[in-house]
Amino acid sequence: MVYFKSSEELQKVLGGFFQLLGQHPQLGPKFLHSKLVVRFNYREPELSITADCTGSNVIITFNDTTKKPEVEMDMKADVAHEFWIGKINLLVALGRRQMIARGHIPKILKLLPILKPAHELYRQYIESFSL
Amino acid sequence: MSQFNFFQFGVPTHIVFGEGVASDFSAELARFAMKRPMLVCDHFLRESGAIGAIRDGLLQSGLHIAGEFFDVAHPASVRIVKELAFEAREQNADSFVVIGGGSVMDVAKAANILLTHGGDLVADYSGAQTIPGPLKPLVAIPTTAGTGSEVTQAAVLYDESQGVKLSFVDDYLRPHLAVLDPLLTLSLPPFLTAATGMDALTHAVEAWTSVQSNPFSDALAKHAIHLVMHHLLPAVIDGDDLDARKGMLTASTMAGVAFDHAMVGVTHAMTHAVEAVAHVHHGTANAILLPWGMTYNRDVCADRYVELASRVGITGKCDVDTIIQQMRQLVVELERKCGLPTRLRDVNVQKDQLPKIASLAAQDGTTVYNPREVDEAEILKLLEQAW
Ligand SMILES: [Fe+2]
Repeated sequence: MVYFKSSEELQKVLGGFFQLLGQHPQLGPKFLHSKLVVRFNYREPELSITADCTGSNVIITFNDTTKKPEVEMDMKADVAHEFWIGKINLLVALGRRQMIARGHIPKILKLLPILKPAHELYRQYIESFSL
Repeated sequence: MSQFNFFQFGVPTHIVFGEGVASDFSAELARFAMKRPMLVCDHFLRESGAIGAIRDGLLQSGLHIAGEFFDVAHPASVRIVKELAFEAREQNADSFVVIGGGSVMDVAKAANILLTHGGDLVADYSGAQTIPGPLKPLVAIPTTAGTGSEVTQAAVLYDESQGVKLSFVDDYLRPHLAVLDPLLTLSLPPFLTAATGMDALTHAVEAWTSVQSNPFSDALAKHAIHLVMHHLLPAVIDGDDLDARKGMLTASTMAGVAFDHAMVGVTHAMTHAVEAVAHVHHGTANAILLPWGMTYNRDVCADRYVELASRVGITGKCDVDTIIQQMRQLVVELERKCGLPTRLRDVNVQKDQLPKIASLAAQDGTTVYNPREVDEAEILKLLEQAW
């Protein structure tokens, strides 16, 4: 199943969701607390999203090659979608090579508890898109 | 039992066990396309002469030793891995035979990534599932009964340039062949026998209670616990007790397979932090901290602990505190028999280092597998008790 038909759609939907998360009154500060730069490299369709949590706001950029991420995660865009709706567990996905994590893994793992409420947010968020 | 509805299990490592098998495993070598292995071990082993028979066995199997690498200091580090990979490439090696404990195995496992695929070790491969394809054959011959690295998909390396420990986790890192020869562990001194044995026990106990445990890892963890509780003290008391050595070597590899799938938890989180802050030996720190880690998880996995009763040698009815007490008793016995420390202050941990240790432990990657959420303030209280 291909949820995202094009890179543009992926950027609009998932990129838009990342921006929403970054500005979320409860979740945003928690991401900033991590002080991480994380890059997600998606394929089918292709897009990279970089989340920079080092400043006073979470900054989301696309296909960014200038920022140096501490952690990079590679996956199919479908896997990302299934992760955010809560169907795929990150640890299982890593175990099955559905995701690849490059860099300091504990830093990503520590974000997991923070992300718990984000799955419900994503499910509500995508209702406005016809995926 | 796992909170997930999904699990996977596989042991791609072929395991061969036998008295003296390390000096002839040509039958198993025939499975692998290897002609010119690089022989890797540390200085201590080289001087002990233990590798002579292994080398002879390899030569008689028709292999050419491409080179020998003994420069594996502790801790296993990125620099040493790069040196080994360079040497292996220079010598045209096509495989590795690594003899020793966890550090030396981690070095060879990581060097195999570079020999097989090239690239930059830290930038390209630190993390999870980053290796693009299978690695060259690697034979692991453990000389301690503890780390289980001969069957695991992980390598942990100190990166000198960033001053941090990096983990490499990948299916392809599991060795092709594990050669378990109990005779090689006979010379392990009592203290190291105890410390590495407690590492194996901690792997099994934490795999047993991990949120990622599954019925297969459970079966192995449970039997590994039984074997350690049965054989560790005899192996410490009499190093020549071959039955005890056999039991411990089997236990550590079994516990290795168990935690390779289920992962570990809060005891290892604290141990990693104690290692980083106060440079305490991994197994020694686990020995001190295991009863405390179990105490931390007491309320959330009381039933799981009680299920272990017969494995830890308790007959009849018992409760969770009796099990934890049994573990504490083992540690106290080991202190009596070989001087294994029982408190953090005994291993030069300063009281004012405890907050730093608690903070690092709470950030450790293993905490996500622990059955109870790892809270920094709670850990600090626990560490103060363990101090
Ligand atoms: Fe360990």
